Amino acid sequence: MATEKGKKDEGKEPKKADKGGSGGGSKGGSGGGSGPTQPEYADDNIRLGAAGQSLFTKAAAVGAVGLAAAVGLGSSAGDGFKRFSLSYTTAFMWVLALGLGALFWVILQNLVNAHWSIVLRRVGEIVAAQAPLLAILALPIVVPIFTGNSSIYIWSNHEAMSANHALHKKAAYLNSSFFLIRFIVYFGFWTLISRYFLNSSLAQDASKDPKSIMGKMRAVAGPAMIGWALTMTFCSVDLLMSLDPMWFSTIFGVYYLASCVQGINAFLALVAMFLHKQGVLKKSVTTEHFHDLGKMVFAFTVFWAYIGFSQFMLIWYANIPEETGWFKERFAGGWCSGWGLLSATLLFGHFVIPFFGLVSRHIKRKRPTLAFWAIWQLVMIYLDMYWLVMPNTKAEAPPFALIDICCVIGVLGVFIAGIAYRAKSLNLMPTNDPRLPKSLAFTNL
Amino acid sequence: MSDDHKPKAEPKAAELHGILAEYDTPDQLISAATKVRNAGFEKWDTYSPFPVHGIDEAMGIKMTVLPWLTLGAGLTGLFTAITMQWWMNAYDYPWLVSGKPLWSIPANVPIMFELTVLFSAITTLVGMLMLNGLPHPSHPLDLIRRFGRVTDDKFFLLIQAADPKFDETDTRKLIDATQPVAVENVPEDRVTPDDMPKGLVYALIVVTCAAVLPVALAVKARHSRTDKARIHIIQDMDSQPKYKAQRENPIFADGRADREALPGTVAVGHLNEDDHFFRGRVGGAWARTFPAQVELSDETMARGKQRFGIYCTPCHGQAGQGDGMVHKRAEALAQGGWIQPSNVTQEYLRNMPVGELFNTITNGIRNMPAYGPQIPPEDRWAIIMYVRALQKSQAGTLNDVPESERGSLK
Repeated sequence: MATEKGKKDEGKEPKKADKGGSGGGSKGGSGGGSGPTQPEYADDNIRLGAAGQSLFTKAAAVGAVGLAAAVGLGSSAGDGFKRFSLSYTTAFMWVLALGLGALFWVILQNLVNAHWSIVLRRVGEIVAAQAPLLAILALPIVVPIFTGNSSIYIWSNHEAMSANHALHKKAAYLNSSFFLIRFIVYFGFWTLISRYFLNSSLAQDASKDPKSIMGKMRAVAGPAMIGWALTMTFCSVDLLMSLDPMWFSTIFGVYYLASCVQGINAFLALVAMFLHKQGVLKKSVTTEHFHDLGKMVFAFTVFWAYIGFSQFMLIWYANIPEETGWFKERFAGGWCSGWGLLSATLLFGHFVIPFFGLVSRHIKRKRPTLAFWAIWQLVMIYLDMYWLVMPNTKAEAPPFALIDICCVIGVLGVFIAGIAYRAKSLNLMPTNDPRLPKSLAFTNL
Repeated sequence: MSDDHKPKAEPKAAELHGILAEYDTPDQLISAATKVRNAGFEKWDTYSPFPVHGIDEAMGIKMTVLPWLTLGAGLTGLFTAITMQWWMNAYDYPWLVSGKPLWSIPANVPIMFELTVLFSAITTLVGMLMLNGLPHPSHPLDLIRRFGRVTDDKFFLLIQAADPKFDETDTRKLIDATQPVAVENVPEDRVTPDDMPKGLVYALIVVTCAAVLPVALAVKARHSRTDKARIHIIQDMDSQPKYKAQRENPIFADGRADREALPGTVAVGHLNEDDHFFRGRVGGAWARTFPAQVELSDETMARGKQRFGIYCTPCHGQAGQGDGMVHKRAEALAQGGWIQPSNVTQEYLRNMPVGELFNTITNGIRNMPAYGPQIPPEDRWAIIMYVRALQKSQAGTLNDVPESERGSLK
């Protein structure tokens, strides 16, 4: 492919290519790539159209049924919606990881001036722009916190906090009014930033000066990344770590980040495959882009294990009861039963097996195998959320039940419906970005 | 620039190594490489200032074995780390760290990770060099002046004369068809020696020998004795800024570093309420029975025998006759003032309540020091049980032996 483009390019812009060469610049990941003036996507379909509308209707219907079933099952349990809330939190934090991951991904591509990812950037921007929808999806678990009677966040109840002397000091941070402020800051920030990137990108499509918009987005990306890191960290602490308010881990935010980044790369690969099936971006997103997404999924397989083990080892070494209790709950039952089996499943299923499964270049370049591992890792990320949240049921073993599946279908359905609703009327590629030709011509070494 | 299109005059005597073509852009190079590959050449190569995307496909370069070498080296590093740490920490020199099992996998993981990366990285580097046939001290291209710009902004393609398809005229035509900015015949290099530069070889030998030196010194140190104090680089552990017991501490009015417990307080786990177990007294008199905490079992007896062997035999002797090594030594020195340790099997001790024996061990008597601080109470009781057995063995009658066993003694 690159060769063909090279031929076309020869007469037109030899100086430009030469300049790129003398700069020694393969830094952008495509230094040797060509820069054709004629857009290559001209005959590629970049609109979802009717397929988007149909996806929206189906996903919204499935999501609504899932949520209704989950609420029904939750109310029939008669435990003040505790089981439902935990199950819902698991599903929500899983989907939030995709939404936050998308925002991270978009900011990152702008920040490092990436070329390879331009063909996929719009899809990422649309997924990231679901932040307001995620804020609404968060309501079932955060509203009880605001009203001070959450069944799962015991710190929301002021009296319960006063009764527990070990938690007095934490009440300054863990209280419902301060949480309300933080919640608004988190989702407000994510909404603003994701809107900014999507709107700028859309403005770029029609702009006569796409380069200046590109520069502005890049300038915003730096502070946005810092803001993202802080909000993501504190949000994961608030919504996941504080489920067990006695326990604390300073690496927790990074642990959740591993899921965010791996999740979005796996999700984008699957979305791109879905788009190909609909005949969209078929010529633009190539094996090379899938390969790169696969590399990221592989890299964050290792990263997740690295962070997860770092968290475990320090606690294991120091052996301080207030820290080890959290792991003791999750290791109960040994390697082969109960929570311990789930921990072992994560160790092998989230790291060891996919490490060898994804290490080969051929697997990442073949769509069926990449799809298999992308789905596998998304399931593992869900199990990881389950492992973080569900021991708070105080059940002796993971209480897998229909309600968990209903919550996942519900939250994911609504999330996908939101993406489809936004995607159906937009160009699914930033057609006017100056880096687009390089992204189209991108090849891995 | 137009002169570059014509080949330079070459030394006639020199044998032809190959034909070199120069291009301005990576795309021209890729295009040319595709043509040369399609023409079926095998001994040829391209040169560029940086990795060029798509050149592998254009040249038809297949995947190398290098990824497999890296994977193998990584796994080797992993298992080396596991085995090494097991051998060091759990087998050869068992060393207990904060109560963890001797072989604790979590503690080994960082080293496993590091050796995996180290082995993979070194193997990848060395494997890459070897698969590329590097280092390569001399190459005919080194003598071509224009080739110097390969590290700057020019792209080159070389077809070797050694290729079976090579024909000076035809190959030249093929290269001209790729529209290079310059073409040049490359003569064989008969000037530069093929061997590695001598200086480099000597330097490598010196460095290798120097690397063995620390190991050699360590081996020497392990197999020799010295009267000199060891070199003490880090003093932190020896001179710690803290007060030790028996030292003076100006902070307190009494000047003592180790503090007494506050009046009316008891350290956690040291209340010792049970008079029978901790002091050998029941209702104001010496206890005549063992306390409930002491199990009358073979294990307790074995424990008592072992502890007796450690604490009591130096003075009282193996059979408790008051003839231990300390006593023998004192007799041999004959310095006077030595009182023979009691024979623990003598009659008044046979009749002494166990509580009083316990008190004697705890607080000492006459020359015998107090063993309470050294021996935990359950061990003191175990020792007493063994002393009772010794007494039985010296003063027992046939009636003490079970009926079934008596026959064997007659």
